[in-house]
Amino acid sequence: MTKTPRLQPPRLAIWLVNQFTPYEQAESIPGDLLEEFSDLKLKSGEDFARRWYWRQSLNAIAYLIGSAFRLAPWRIAGAVIAGRLLFLYGLMLPERAIVAVLRKYPIYPNYDHENVYALWMIWVPLAIQIGWVIMAMSIGCLVAAAVKGKEMVATMTLALTFVAPPLVRMILLRPQAPFSGPPFLRIGIFSVFPVAIVVGGAIVRTIRSAVSSRRSASPC
Amino acid sequence: MPGRDYLGEFEHIVVLALLRLAEQAYGVTVRREIEVRTGREVSIGAIYATLDRLEAKGYVKSQLGDPTPERGGRSKRFFHVTGKGVAAVNRTHRALHSMTKGLDLARSYSL
Repeated sequence: MTKTPRLQPPRLAIWLVNQFTPYEQAESIPGDLLEEFSDLKLKSGEDFARRWYWRQSLNAIAYLIGSAFRLAPWRIAGAVIAGRLLFLYGLMLPERAIVAVLRKYPIYPNYDHENVYALWMIWVPLAIQIGWVIMAMSIGCLVAAAVKGKEMVATMTLALTFVAPPLVRMILLRPQAPFSGPPFLRIGIFSVFPVAIVVGGAIVRTIRSAVSSRRSASPC
Repeated sequence: MPGRDYLGEFEHIVVLALLRLAEQAYGVTVRREIEVRTGREVSIGAIYATLDRLEAKGYVKSQLGDPTPERGGRSKRFFHVTGKGVAAVNRTHRALHSMTKGLDLARSYSL
């Protein structure tokens, strides 16, 4: 069986560059990278071209992040602060909503039921945690919606505000208070927040990019 | 001081590349021109970050060309230097010339 030739640059690299590229440069930067990739592939082979594409893409992303901070520092800072405030008030919402629903529509009206324990000790906490993740993703979407063109930079900065303090604490306090539990417990529900926030940002960015490219492709 | 801004080192190189390339100045050609003439590997990201900064200062202007198939149907973004940009290049050149005048650089720094 012959190996199918790969004609395109790495898809993940293309996607990542598209996520960080401002809409006004959505044609030029990916187009330039593709043009150079095609030339390099003919001159130096596909593997070399793919490695070059990855290097250039990561470099471009670093510059685009820096450029976003230089061009709209206050807009990004405002969105990140608003996102943190939303977390402050929104963190209680899933718990309140789930408890309110269960009080109004009790699954086990008879409290002697043996499943009541499982409900309140396992399923309700699990539902609350899922609610937190959905809320984190929604806040990521809201923050991204507030900073058009800099969605990923704003949501990544917000995610960083969750990642940085525990990391610093872990580095500074490790000798005094080592964690003795199993390693998987170190990745608590709060560690999922940054990922959920960035996923929210990527969703908004992907939708906006699709709308923007459809508009530019339409004849009028 | 307004109107007395000098170009940074890389900004200077990019503007000179635009002047050399004239009508053919876009990301790929600017990057290659700099690599060939300076022997320095530069990234597309660095080129665009600098061009955006120069455009914000009013030193360069850009316009989109027609989409081409080798670019996956994407347009090129052509850049050209404005009068303000040319004035900034001249100002930077004069400043550099004035600062290096009388210095025997080859002898001073070859040790």
